[in-house]
Amino acid sequence: MTDPPLSPSSAAGGPASTGSTPPTLRQLFVGMLQVALSAFGGGLSAWSQRIVVEERRWMSNEEFLTGLTVARLFPGPNQINMAVYVGAFFHGLRGALVALAGMLLVPFTMLMALGLVYFSLHALPAIDRVLAGVVAAAAGMALSMGFKILGQYRGDPIALLLAAGTLVAMEAFQVRLVPLVLVAGPLAMAWYWPRGGATRLPKP
Amino acid sequence: MPVFPPLLIALPPALVAHCAPMRLNDVGHLLQVMGTFLGLSLFSLGGGNTLLSEYHHISVEQFCWLTPSQFADLYALAEAAPGPSSMLVGLLGMGAGWPEGPGWALLSAYGAELAILLPSTLLMVVACLRWNRLRDSPWRIAFERGLGPITLGILFAVGLKILHTADTNTPGLIVSLLVCVLMLRTRISPLWFMAVAGLLGGLGVINR
Repeated sequence: MTDPPLSPSSAAGGPASTGSTPPTLRQLFVGMLQVALSAFGGGLSAWSQRIVVEERRWMSNEEFLTGLTVARLFPGPNQINMAVYVGAFFHGLRGALVALAGMLLVPFTMLMALGLVYFSLHALPAIDRVLAGVVAAAAGMALSMGFKILGQYRGDPIALLLAAGTLVAMEAFQVRLVPLVLVAGPLAMAWYWPRGGATRLPKP
Repeated sequence: MPVFPPLLIALPPALVAHCAPMRLNDVGHLLQVMGTFLGLSLFSLGGGNTLLSEYHHISVEQFCWLTPSQFADLYALAEAAPGPSSMLVGLLGMGAGWPEGPGWALLSAYGAELAILLPSTLLMVVACLRWNRLRDSPWRIAFERGLGPITLGILFAVGLKILHTADTNTPGLIVSLLVCVLMLRTRISPLWFMAVAGLLGGLGVINR
């Protein structure tokens, strides 16, 4: 799903306004459920910003954007990590799990209902024909993921070389992801280790 | 089979030809599903999409939970449905448990999703609580800059893998490439692409 751009200057006050009253666990659950339901059709990050920052005023915009940075940096799906950040911000691990449940329970249960229908009926020729079309579109979406972030590495030949090496290792030599990341990750980190404050790359 | 051989190096035939599901009892199977995804969770870089080709390997080639076209179908369902697309893991778990009946399929689905999310969630909680110290750490900077290009390479490999798995005819391939360009150049909701392509499939223009 594509996310609409986040509004960089939100109306909800400066960095000092850490929501007047922190949400209770129940409010966290309901808030994240509201985000999940609003975001039907995409744009989860934009919706969670609108609800968490602008409507409920739990966080300042700056705190929210920090969360987005952390969510993108660490492993895990971005939107899910964002829910974890909001929950953990107020109630630590308990808050994170409650926020996660709020965001996932309804969409996941709906998808599982769809899955049960799929496994029961996918052998029907009519359904299979429609799915063949949908799959072609979905493959195009998957193909676009790499191109989306390609631009930010244009000025960095080493990064492009690393990316090309990764692609060749996976495509031509069937190297699996886990060993690949464990070997190439530390090498790349060593190359990009910050030295003397000089920034080699614009921050992605 | 692929209509565009120069783009892709085909899988070793041995992997495709014989995929015999392992014989495990119900609980053993569930534990296998959960253990597999627990181990992958912390490798979901770049928002999680980097794991797609690993998911394909596990569910189609290693454990034979799904056929390649079932995998492509489930990927498309997870993309089309509302909510984070990482919920695909739940569908894979469901496929793993399906031979044992719908009840086990559901249990396996929730188990798989829990397993893929739990480790990354715990790490994220620690990261949030320690962020002020982490932010300026050289480890954070090196991780972000170093893993970025690797993520880029993986995403291209994943895109090719899904294209390969979709295995549609030439009109299907043209639709895939068109959707890719439109995703990059416009802000049209991907749901429209899937709706139109689904219609083309229903009319028999796209098939596999």
